[in-house]
Amino acid sequence: MANIAAKRIKREFKEVMKSEEVADGTLKLELVNNSWTELKGQIAGPSETPYEGGKFILEIKVPETYPFNPPKIRFLTRIWHPNVSSVTGAICLDILKDQWAAALTLRTVLLSIQALLSAAEPNDPQDAVVAKQYRENIELFHLTAQHWTNVYAGGPNVILDFVQKVQMLTDMGVDENQARVALSTFDWELERATEQLFS
Amino acid sequence: MGFDIKRFQGDVDEELICPICSGVLEDPLQAPACEHAFCRACITEWISRQPTCPVDRQAVTASQLRPVPRILRNLLSRLCTSCDNAPHGCNAVLKLDSLASHLVDCEYNPKRLMPCEAGCGLVIPKDELAEHNCVRELRVLIASQQGKLTDYQQELTEQRLIINEHKRELALLKEFMRAMRVSNPAMRALADQMEREEVVRWASSLARARVTRWGGMISTPDDVLQVMMIKRSLSESGCPSHIIDDLMENCHERRWPPGLSSLETRQNNRRLYEKYVCKRVPGKQAVLVLQCDNTHVDEHMMVEPGLVMIFAHGIE
Ligand SMILES: [Zn+2]
Ligand SMILES: [Zn+2]
Ligand SMILES: [Zn+2]
Ligand SMILES: [Zn+2]
Repeated sequence: MANIAAKRIKREFKEVMKSEEVADGTLKLELVNNSWTELKGQIAGPSETPYEGGKFILEIKVPETYPFNPPKIRFLTRIWHPNVSSVTGAICLDILKDQWAAALTLRTVLLSIQALLSAAEPNDPQDAVVAKQYRENIELFHLTAQHWTNVYAGGPNVILDFVQKVQMLTDMGVDENQARVALSTFDWELERATEQLFS
Repeated sequence: MGFDIKRFQGDVDEELICPICSGVLEDPLQAPACEHAFCRACITEWISRQPTCPVDRQAVTASQLRPVPRILRNLLSRLCTSCDNAPHGCNAVLKLDSLASHLVDCEYNPKRLMPCEAGCGLVIPKDELAEHNCVRELRVLIASQQGKLTDYQQELTEQRLIINEHKRELALLKEFMRAMRVSNPAMRALADQMEREEVVRWASSLARARVTRWGGMISTPDDVLQVMMIKRSLSESGCPSHIIDDLMENCHERRWPPGLSSLETRQNNRRLYEKYVCKRVPGKQAVLVLQCDNTHVDEHMMVEPGLVMIFAHGIE
């Protein structure tokens, strides 16, 4: 790994570890290997959002050319959000792409991702299905996001109706995650979800 | 990129840190409007990717970058840092502006050149001294010299071939000129000049000789034995062919100039001998007194194209 990248990451790692966000549990950061090329981050779902109470794990890959190029970050924890792929966890955030600036740090990037959870950008979506639901049925979007947060990120809010619908499909032999994606996609209409799963 | 912040004594002001490499600013430049400062190498690299300030993303091009204000430079130059060679034992603590001059002759520099003390005569970077093996290094040297020698020898052989070809061509040309000069006066003058120059060239290639005993002169040499030996030697030394026969004739007192032609005149002119510039006939007890070397000598002591004097002994 290039000297400058390693130096920056070491310094930024320390900066995060000393930050108040780590102290109050909003952020977590750990090394995946000893070469400083890969880290694992964790952000807390912001309050007054469907993600509240959830812990979201992020995969952080530091390129050789860091900080001249942005770190590659995606959600490892599944999340229902217009700017995050519900399938791959890929994030659509300008500062991780063309608006990257070399002075940004792991801490500022993690906080930006956390801010994205509070303020979605449905007009610049990563996941078109989620964005459509966000625009057309914000209440259902909220519930779906809450359900995903509960199931995947340890959030507190159990949406019983959704749990039961997923259970019905898994009883029919459908994979649980596939069942949840299908139901979420079709606004929790069992019939259309089933149709899609078995077609 | 900047200096590692761990090398500095005490806290370093955030202003003096490069936002790109997170080191202490090295050779800094600043953006024109926002005045954010970066190491020259860092900001150059960043701007080659996108023309913005890496802190606030205002548009900046490479040509707009400016040197930082004097006050910032002063703050930087006053920082105290350890030497680059601290891991190799250098304990020096230096102001940042004197670091460069210290590094030039820091004795802890592992790459500093040191003479080998075992006597091989090589000069080697300090950190390679432990691994250094005189015999091995010299063997490598010999091998490379041998390679070069082989190359030179080959080149020499080639050059010799070329020279021989040139000689053959030259000989043909001379023949041609000899044939021409009979009919053409301009050619005759040219050929005469070339012949004169050839004699001068040959004369200057011969070693000077000193006659220690003029009395050992043989003024009537034996034609067959002595004269033929001299002729062979002259020919081998590169004597121009158009004068060799004349020179051989001039071995004998019967062809010598008035000042030398008899024992009596020789006795009288003996003191003039010392004026002669003599050249050695290689390998023989004989000297050449060539006209071209002896223009200072009286006419009655010289003949064209020169004299050959054979001695019994006494030539150095
Ligand atoms: Zn700026
Ligand atoms: Zn820098
Ligand atoms: Zn030093
Ligand atoms: Zn040696």
